[in-house]
Amino acid sequence: MFDLLTSYTLFSLSTVMGFVALATLLHLQFGLAGIVNFGVVGFWGLGMYAFGVLLIQFEVPYPLAMLLAVAIVAAVSLLIGWVIVDLNDQAVLVATLAFGTIVTSLVTTEKWLTEGVVGLGSVPYPVETGDGALWQFVVLTAVTAAIVIYAARIAKTPYGRLLAAKRDNEPLARGLGKNTSRHKLTIFVITCALMGFVGTLSAPVHRFLTPDLIGPGVTFSAWIALIVGGKRHPLGGVLGVALTIFVFDFVIETYVPVPSEHAATVTVIKTIVYGVTLIVALMFRPLGLLGPGRKRGSR
Amino acid sequence: MSLLTSAVVLGLIEAAPLILAAMGFTLIFYLSGFMNIAFAENITIGAFCAVLLTSALGLNFYMSIIPASLVSGVVSVLTYLLIFRPAERRGIGPAEMIILSVGVSFVMRYGLRLIVGPELYFFDNVAPDYYRFMGMGVTSFQVTAMALVVVLAAALYLFMFRTRLGEMMRGLADNRDLALVSGVDPTRISALIWFIAGVAGGLAGVFFGVFSFVNTLVGWNLILIIIMISIIGGVGNIRGAILASIAVGVTTSFIALVSTPLYGEILLLIFFIAFLKVTNRAT
Repeated sequence: MFDLLTSYTLFSLSTVMGFVALATLLHLQFGLAGIVNFGVVGFWGLGMYAFGVLLIQFEVPYPLAMLLAVAIVAAVSLLIGWVIVDLNDQAVLVATLAFGTIVTSLVTTEKWLTEGVVGLGSVPYPVETGDGALWQFVVLTAVTAAIVIYAARIAKTPYGRLLAAKRDNEPLARGLGKNTSRHKLTIFVITCALMGFVGTLSAPVHRFLTPDLIGPGVTFSAWIALIVGGKRHPLGGVLGVALTIFVFDFVIETYVPVPSEHAATVTVIKTIVYGVTLIVALMFRPLGLLGPGRKRGSR
Repeated sequence: MSLLTSAVVLGLIEAAPLILAAMGFTLIFYLSGFMNIAFAENITIGAFCAVLLTSALGLNFYMSIIPASLVSGVVSVLTYLLIFRPAERRGIGPAEMIILSVGVSFVMRYGLRLIVGPELYFFDNVAPDYYRFMGMGVTSFQVTAMALVVVLAAALYLFMFRTRLGEMMRGLADNRDLALVSGVDPTRISALIWFIAGVAGGLAGVFFGVFSFVNTLVGWNLILIIIMISIIGGVGNIRGAILASIAVGVTTSFIALVSTPLYGEILLLIFFIAFLKVTNRAT
């Protein structure tokens, strides 16, 4: 079993695991709290780069760098959250999309910090023995599992019900005396900070940080996974990633021999298939595979 | 030559295709009530049609503008009839419609990429004439773009506010039920709007392309700025969109003149997020 875990396999599996975490956090934001976050890559990428920059450029000790990176993401998401908390869905979408673009652009322009397109390298594993990659995968899996369990639990708590009530009818929840803006902001900051935390864990997996890593494709992949799996179900992100990113980035890339001259074509076809899947899912099963079937006029 | 006048001249030149794109995007936003991200691909398709017609077939640049914009218009109508109209009928909400349009956008962009590849294309066998205008060198393409924008914006404005068909369109956008009982055929009118929007997007793409280069990301790289213009201009307000695109064009070129273009975009986006917070627009 363990000789199957080559470094490449571990890299792919760690990437996939990171997406499970992101999609599940997106479930908490969009599925539970109704926040249309289209800047997932901004929070994840900020965590990854803040950590990398602190560790390599400022030589901050490893755990402290992680902690500071997450704190930075939390502070930024507090600011973004304050901006979007009372906006309507379309404005939230555009504002977060703009935020994601800003992060990617800043990483490209601030060469003195991030080395720009040349790439920031190389982020080490916390344990620099031979098994660093394996341990990183184990830690990522544990964190992802914790996030999924948290997501499954929170829906059943009064707090989760409050968020769902706010999503479905905000004036009503407000009328019942709940401070909906504050709760929305809290869940947004927590989940965004966790996205940043996943980013810090993903940094050593990629080792070499380039702006290519934090393109809009990350946001898109997390969204498609969540929509396909089911935005309202805590396991929606897990199932969605298993059916989309896992199939392409792990199964096909590992077990289907593709001549290297066609490698780029496979990526292009992958994106087309993702897009078609997203369209079909939204048209025929807007609540995803784990959601209830379509009711007429349901959103 | 002061910085301010350069910024205004450059900004107006830059704004010309932006105005076309923003008008098209705003039309769909106004009619359908959602932001059609796949509009980015209409821009890209227009640019590609023109660049392929001129490079591969040796067609005159000015002759390529018409087929390029028509193809883009037809593609726009097809996306409406095949995807967005069925989706509207299924009662999909505005936020999901945007996500749907992002999916459509990715499919179209990478579908095109499969055909044309990742390379940059240039309008290499068309050479513009150079003129001097207010102390700045401008090309004949830039002059054409400006002239075309003025003509099209005026034509669209008259069409929307002075003709029967335009009245039907506005009626359909403002009060769908009332328009329906008044005998407006929603599919025909909507298809027409999507066609006009697609043509505007395609034209914008042709000029974006001839000003620099063409690849499959041309439209995607611009869509955020276009959304921004549309929202700042006021949702579905054609007049607002025109003014906002001029303002954005001038502002970006001013920032670009004093620093690097990417900073211009970042500042613009920060300003935009602040704008959203202050006005709470984009319904």
